[in-house]
Amino acid sequence: MSIIKKLALVVVSLSLVAVSSVSSAKPFSPKKPVELIIPAGQGGGADEIARLVQGVIEKNDYASKPVIPINKSGGSGGEAMTYVKKKAGDEHTLIITLNNVLTTPVNQPELGIDFFNDFTPLARLITDTFLVWIATEGKNTAGVETFDDFIDLAKGNGLVMGGTGSMSEDELLLGMMRGQFGFDAKYVPYSGGGAVAKGLVGGESDFTLNNPSEQMGFYQSGDSKALVMMTPERNPAFPEVPSSYELGYPDLEYYMMRAFMAPAGIDAEVEKYYTGLLHTVYHDDEFQTFNIDDGKLMSWLEGFGLKDFLAIEYEKHGEIIKNFN
Amino acid sequence: METVGFLLDGIFTSLQWFNLVLLIFGCLIGLFVGAMPGLGSVNGVAILIPITFIIPPTAAIIFLAAVYYGAMYGGAISSVMLGIPGASTAVATVFDGRPLAVKGEAMTALTAAAVGSFVGGTVSVILFTLFAPPLAEVALRFNAPETFALMVMAFATFVGLGGDDVPKTIFSILIGLALSTIGLDLITGKPRLIFFNIPGFLHGINFLVLAIGIYGIGEMLWTLEETKGKVQMSKLSVNMKEVGRAFGALKKTIMAMNIGSFLGFFVGILPAAGATPASLMSYGITKQLSKNSKEFGEGVPAGVVAPECANNSASTGSMLPMLTLGIPGSPTTAILLGGMILWGLTPGPLLFTQEPEFVWGLIGSLYIANFFTLVLNIALIPAFLMVLRIPFAILAPVIFVLCVTGGYAPTQSLHDVWLMLLFGIAGYILRKLDYPVAPAVLSIVLGPLAEKALRQSLILSDGSMGIFFDISEKPIAAVIMYIAIVLLIMPAFGPLYRRFYKKKQTA
Repeated sequence: MSIIKKLALVVVSLSLVAVSSVSSAKPFSPKKPVELIIPAGQGGGADEIARLVQGVIEKNDYASKPVIPINKSGGSGGEAMTYVKKKAGDEHTLIITLNNVLTTPVNQPELGIDFFNDFTPLARLITDTFLVWIATEGKNTAGVETFDDFIDLAKGNGLVMGGTGSMSEDELLLGMMRGQFGFDAKYVPYSGGGAVAKGLVGGESDFTLNNPSEQMGFYQSGDSKALVMMTPERNPAFPEVPSSYELGYPDLEYYMMRAFMAPAGIDAEVEKYYTGLLHTVYHDDEFQTFNIDDGKLMSWLEGFGLKDFLAIEYEKHGEIIKNFN
Repeated sequence: METVGFLLDGIFTSLQWFNLVLLIFGCLIGLFVGAMPGLGSVNGVAILIPITFIIPPTAAIIFLAAVYYGAMYGGAISSVMLGIPGASTAVATVFDGRPLAVKGEAMTALTAAAVGSFVGGTVSVILFTLFAPPLAEVALRFNAPETFALMVMAFATFVGLGGDDVPKTIFSILIGLALSTIGLDLITGKPRLIFFNIPGFLHGINFLVLAIGIYGIGEMLWTLEETKGKVQMSKLSVNMKEVGRAFGALKKTIMAMNIGSFLGFFVGILPAAGATPASLMSYGITKQLSKNSKEFGEGVPAGVVAPECANNSASTGSMLPMLTLGIPGSPTTAILLGGMILWGLTPGPLLFTQEPEFVWGLIGSLYIANFFTLVLNIALIPAFLMVLRIPFAILAPVIFVLCVTGGYAPTQSLHDVWLMLLFGIAGYILRKLDYPVAPAVLSIVLGPLAEKALRQSLILSDGSMGIFFDISEKPIAAVIMYIAIVLLIMPAFGPLYRRFYKKKQTA
């Protein structure tokens, strides 16, 4: 065999390899329905966003296969996180987050969840805000007009706060406020933000730290009012409610992140596909309008920015839990 | 009368051809998901929500409400024909529906279920139409202490549920309560009773897993033993005489219809309760108050009417807090609520004035949906009866497959399938030993609700039980609590009293 022939053979085989490697790098798309795990119950804030994302994808045909939301609410999200951890390398599973992804691994070490190595963060779409709510005709909070009135009242009296469950975001937030303002409250847990709002208007509790959407109906009807929103700026959905920065309490700032993660060990192509899909959803007009009207902050974050953000939040929550205990 | 005008508008809205087609279609889908074990109204509505983004909100709610409604009727079908509760709301229907079918009176059971559902649905929608705003106020004032008192009342009626053997009944209640504490502790957030650290226990014991295991698998094993695989029932005729007899049997169920309709509606409007506890409580109270309470569980039409009437009534009732307060009265309305938000509506006190077409369209459609599901159900009875003509050797594997899918569907975990099989075998053994299993099923549903309400109340009262008995501070809670205590004592003293009375007569 001549050298030329040998060379030709090498060239052919090399190009074959090249062709085959090109074909294997074809962009990923799901081959079966995608499970979207919700680490909370039906009807709550995370559930609402997950079903909105599902609806937007379905309505506009953004994905070749449907997205199926599945609620795994047990163990403050522990059940959902254990499930996703076991699905390492699975290309058809996603999880939407509450802040409980930051707290449950710390609070329940027996689950063995490693926040930084068991998940692949994809993108943060939204941050939800928190407000201090009282009932307009609350019998114990009569005469309270401002947040400062409220602090004065709360210091002297043991008020009752309705919340969404032990060690959930709002109880940690109460812990933070206890440190900052020196008042304590009796914490009564309910099942979900809607029940919390009802307990407030029904006169069982004196105040709540609900997200906007959970209290929206009673806010619009005038049955409950907000004293402060824990953000640097006012929100267009609640124009008359002052921000905590305005009132001179810049330390009173807290958010709920609505991000999406995949299991650990997926290919970069898969990661890119889902991030792209979420990006399309994020820029959908209907998705934007719905969330802005609901008082949520649109806050896209991906890649290294997201990883840094999660690292900071994880540490911050570790600190809050330590102080709380 | 302003209301009449609104209601007529609503009925006309739901009679527009597009809405009417969706309504009938929704009823049929509902019947199907209700009848399929493991698929209930919750799954049905959750699966169909994305479809509703492309139609107007009023049409969407009419469609989904019809699915919800149809499922309440459909659940009874598999409860009666196969002994597997088709949905959690139909578990109590098995108690008497299945024995009726085994006695050869499946026709009566199905008619009782359909008519009971119709009566419950109609009474509740009338109550809804007339009293929605004041009832919303009641729901708002019904807080933790009141809820706990109501639960105690429900438990009090259970003691009478298991027949005369009070110790065996109490044993069954306690087993149910113990199982209901597995999972996440509401107050401390810590996991409880996670056996062998299996993560499947973190979501607790799903009540359907227990019910399908005990009734579906347990009943299948029992029937296999009894029939040796032969045809269960051969002489089943459907003629006018049979139909007349079935309707005739309903005369004795007037009390059950009253209890089911009013109690069901009331439990339905309370947040977080819903149709499943309503149907179980209605069964318990009807049995307690009935003159022939001993025959319950052996196949009486009133035992079918009571839960079926209550679950339809409660499903209408649970829409009231959803629409007026923006809080779900049942798991299914939680999903509907999510849907409403996504359709751009804000549920809450202003919905009635801001979106009258939507609200009254929904209410109007409930009247129409009731009528259509009744007609569909009665018309389909001959088709359902065919099931009993199949030899049990063929039917048993089908039931088994339905049970396994039913156990798997709610949480999509194999863990629950194994648990269900375990409960099935345990249920079979308990039945052989003559233990009543219904009280265990009831307590696993009401246990978590009662525990939560108790602990919330005790936090509010700094640990004092006085919060439940203070007539001036919490009159509703106190009155319910005293009634509960009387109900609890009655069956315990009944046999004692009779024994004493007999002795005196013979002496």
